[in-house]
Amino acid sequence: MATEPDDIQQLVGQRYKHGFVTDIESESLPPGLDENVVRAISARKDEPEFMLEWRLRAYRQWLEMREPEWAHVHYPPIDYQAISYFSAPKSDADKPQSLDEVDPKLLETYDKLGIPLHERARLAGVAVDAVFDSVSVATTFKDKLKDAGVIFCSFSEAVKDHPELVRKYLGSVVPQRDNYFAALNSAVFSDGSFVYVPKGVRCPMELSTYFRINAENTGQFERTLIVADEGSHVSYLEGCTAPMRDENQLHAAVVELVALEGAEIKYSTVQNWYPGDEDGVGGIYNFVTKRGDCRGRDSKISWTQVETGSAITWKYPSCILRGDNSVGEFYSVAVANNLQQADTGTKMIHIGKNTRSTIVSKGISAGRAQNAYRGLVRIMPQAKDARNHTQCDSLLIGKTCGAHTFPYMEVKHPSARVEHEATTSKISADQLFYCRQRGISEEDAVNMIVNGFCKEVFKELPMEFAVEAQNLLNVSLEGAVG
Amino acid sequence: MLKIDNLHVRTGGAEILHGLTLAVNAGEVHAIMGPNGSGKSTLAQAIAGHEDYEVTDGSIEFLGEDIAELDPEERARAGLFLGFQYPVEIPGVNNAYLLKAALNARRKQAGEDEIDAYEFLKLAKEKMALLGMDPKFLNRGVNEGFSGGEKKRNEILQMAVLEPKLAILDETDSGLDIDALKAVAQGVNALRSPDRAIVLVTHYQRLLDYITPDFVHVLSGGRIIHSGDKSLATELEDRGYDWVVEAATA
Amino acid sequence: MNALDIDKLRAHVEGLPGGGLDAIRQQAVATLAETGLPSTRDESFKYTDLSEIGQLSRTWLEHPTRGQVSAETERRIADVTAIADVDWLVIANGDLKAALTRSLPGLSLERLSESPPPLPALQPLTALNAALLEDGLVIRVGAGQQRPLGLLVVDDASEAPGLSQLRIDIEVAAGQSLELVEYYLSTGDEAHYSNAVLHLELGQGSAARHLRLQDRSVRHSQTQRLDVTVGRDAAFTSASFDLGGRLTRNDLNIDLPRAGSRAEVAGLYLSGDGQHVDNHTLVDHRTGPTVSRQEYRGILFGRSRAVWNGKAMVHEGADGTDAEQANHNLLLSEHAEIDTKPELEIYAEDVRCAHGTTVGQLDERALFYLRSRGLDADEARRLLVHAFAVQVLAAAPVDALKPHLDALLDTKLATINDASLSI
Repeated sequence: MATEPDDIQQLVGQRYKHGFVTDIESESLPPGLDENVVRAISARKDEPEFMLEWRLRAYRQWLEMREPEWAHVHYPPIDYQAISYFSAPKSDADKPQSLDEVDPKLLETYDKLGIPLHERARLAGVAVDAVFDSVSVATTFKDKLKDAGVIFCSFSEAVKDHPELVRKYLGSVVPQRDNYFAALNSAVFSDGSFVYVPKGVRCPMELSTYFRINAENTGQFERTLIVADEGSHVSYLEGCTAPMRDENQLHAAVVELVALEGAEIKYSTVQNWYPGDEDGVGGIYNFVTKRGDCRGRDSKISWTQVETGSAITWKYPSCILRGDNSVGEFYSVAVANNLQQADTGTKMIHIGKNTRSTIVSKGISAGRAQNAYRGLVRIMPQAKDARNHTQCDSLLIGKTCGAHTFPYMEVKHPSARVEHEATTSKISADQLFYCRQRGISEEDAVNMIVNGFCKEVFKELPMEFAVEAQNLLNVSLEGAVG
Repeated sequence: MLKIDNLHVRTGGAEILHGLTLAVNAGEVHAIMGPNGSGKSTLAQAIAGHEDYEVTDGSIEFLGEDIAELDPEERARAGLFLGFQYPVEIPGVNNAYLLKAALNARRKQAGEDEIDAYEFLKLAKEKMALLGMDPKFLNRGVNEGFSGGEKKRNEILQMAVLEPKLAILDETDSGLDIDALKAVAQGVNALRSPDRAIVLVTHYQRLLDYITPDFVHVLSGGRIIHSGDKSLATELEDRGYDWVVEAATA
Repeated sequence: MNALDIDKLRAHVEGLPGGGLDAIRQQAVATLAETGLPSTRDESFKYTDLSEIGQLSRTWLEHPTRGQVSAETERRIADVTAIADVDWLVIANGDLKAALTRSLPGLSLERLSESPPPLPALQPLTALNAALLEDGLVIRVGAGQQRPLGLLVVDDASEAPGLSQLRIDIEVAAGQSLELVEYYLSTGDEAHYSNAVLHLELGQGSAARHLRLQDRSVRHSQTQRLDVTVGRDAAFTSASFDLGGRLTRNDLNIDLPRAGSRAEVAGLYLSGDGQHVDNHTLVDHRTGPTVSRQEYRGILFGRSRAVWNGKAMVHEGADGTDAEQANHNLLLSEHAEIDTKPELEIYAEDVRCAHGTTVGQLDERALFYLRSRGLDADEARRLLVHAFAVQVLAAAPVDALKPHLDALLDTKLATINDASLSI
């Protein structure tokens, strides 16, 4: 018996679970962007002169740039003057010195989100930095990390306490003028996380940041910088949520990773920004630049992402494999349901000798969503013996969605081996019937098939988050089968 | 025929053979047995001249000549044949072409004329009949889409056509059903002659039920630790390898 | 923007023989005034720089000439037309007269200006073709056509740099079948640019087996666009061989608008010193069930570059689509570059789409295997290069051309010198 599309549609429609608004007093700059706003942000954060100069340079470059149009996404023009570029919980005016001083309402918010900020953090052994609207509100486990020599703090603190590191590495992977959204971020970024792992140190715990957009008409522009010094190792996870609002909100983050000789950075993302409702009203525009630089020999950067949220995702976590023998990895699950649009993938730029990269991308399209993989593998003329393997699979659920693959391979050295494979398939009525005949509910069958499809990527996630990612996926797809 | 003295071989960054010594004379059949990872395939590859297997010490003499510096094709033309454990698939090159090119390379070396197409076809079909192979195989790509048994039969066919002086058969029996095993054994036995030597590299004694060796050697930890006649194979089958290894290290 | 001198172009166009093509020429000039020729800023020309072609076009517009056909050209034509069992239409330096006078069973031949096509949407290169075209050929294939039809296109650039436009429209009536050969040659040492636009329309239940053979000189650049529309239950089978040329750009667009239509295309490109070859394919699956297969192979040696961009577009409602694309490249030189981009754009659910792309070298294991059987290293490499190439040859339609193609390919592969292979 064939499955009626209606039945299956019903399976998909579970509501966004993180869509509550926290009633908290916040201070925002009025909407609009000019040099004065950039100055105001910098002043508000009490930044040294070099940061203000850096921001202004970015702002001036941004003015000359144009919004990119090449991605397979469509949205009405963004009015950059209608966005507020800074919002902070008001109680931040007297910055909390410890978690105990954090506004209980905020902590409650993170509780609702299931973020292990407090005791649970201790149990989970995860150090968390939480960014609420534009500012970092709390970082846990600072002391324990300090003992290991690891710096994990908000970006604002890093600017004040470790200006030499910030100066040395900020913009060294993603320059201000890299692209339109990166330039905007460089001008107005409000906060974010900073990590420095010294030579030879294996970071004793997972590091994690949770991002939350709460205020209305606010853009979030955070910046993350992770530097792994020689022979060090760090695993980092970010999660994101936002309330349900009718208007679209802009999130334009920049993440820079630097891995020196023999260092390894594992960066995992579970992105669950509000995707908008079934009719495509509201949702976050997630225009993010993430790039890692394997600067030293034998270094490794691994990106894992589970992208289930956002109305629009424009995101290409990339690796510059500069050091000889360096390794880049990209594991991605991107789900687009209803009217979501995702254009995501990676770039692997092989410069050093004997560099290796692996790309595994799993795209799931449902409803009326459009989901595109866009990737670049470039083997430079000096990159002797470089290797890449790309596996790029799409799963289609329903007749009205789209799944697209745009891989670019540029090979300029004869010793390179580059392989790309892509497949597209669907969950068939036959598969579902078979499962149901064996006594498995349709919903479970869909989850089973989808999770099986994504397994290769989930196994790359830190254990604590693999389960969360699976659940998230199930929720995102509820009602998607047709 | 083959004289290996104190052979040390490195591959993949590690030394696998640590001073292996072995002598094989014309007319003899030797079986080299040993547990997994003992260096059996390394020995076969090193003799054939694979560049990933570096001879760091010792010597390999074939027909009285040190062959350490020879390219694999020079060794082959001199009459050395390796039956691969995992014969590679080469789509687009057909079996007949390869077989003829290989045969002519040997003939040229020996100062003989190239074989003409008719003679070649006759020879190939004759050998195939002997091995129970369908002549259609000749027009297929080398090993392309062959089953495990077909690939091994194809190795034996090549050996039969090329008539080497020394044949080293690396795990030729692995993955074969009983019919294929018999066919392979028959092919090997047909090739036994007073001026030819055969080295069987194998993990199991099974093949030796059909091809009776003159000598059996146990390879372990990169050296030959024990040698005997065909009864050793049966003993190994019954008692396993541990007792030999223990005796050797005691 | 890769601009043309529009006044010169307009003046030249006004001097062309009048008639049915006037309207499309005017439209083409207007298009070119706006767009110019493609530049590397255009996504579909990201890896292929046409500025040399632009320069050649501008130079030619200063002194537009059509060269004489030399004795050497006559000899080359005789060589090809001697291939048995093919009916050849010869177009030398764009001259259609010889072709139009042939009378072949089941074929009707006409000038394009006598039955001008409806005004199409023009891209820069098709606009250049439409603007400068003196006339084109319309071929209708009905019952009674038996032997393969060969189109031999020769451009002679022995006197002066040249520019030529070619336009051929072919219709295959319902239920009929056609074997078609396109053969491109050039002679002379001057630079030449030719720009070809072809349309092939396959009626319901018809079949076309198509072979394209490009063996231009290294002074000759060519852009070609072939649009194929495949009717209900019709089949298009094609193999193209790009064995020569300075800069070659092929656009093969296949439209599958009706149920049961099928397209199978294969291609081989060789790119050596000073060469650049770019293949763009697009298959539009507009309904299901429809099937497409694409397999292209490239061998790059010397200082050269190749581009492959294959795309399967599965439109909304085209459930039952089965699309595969593959592109394999052998990179044999440090100075060669391959840019490859297999794309899928899917707006339907019940589809089976896959692509696979590889860039690499000869298989080391296969090399060792061959050497262990007594083949010397160089011979083993040649054999493997040949094996890589013949997999396309095996798929080539039009049996009458096979022996010729075989021999030609051997000659070409032999030119891949040892230096290119010794990596």
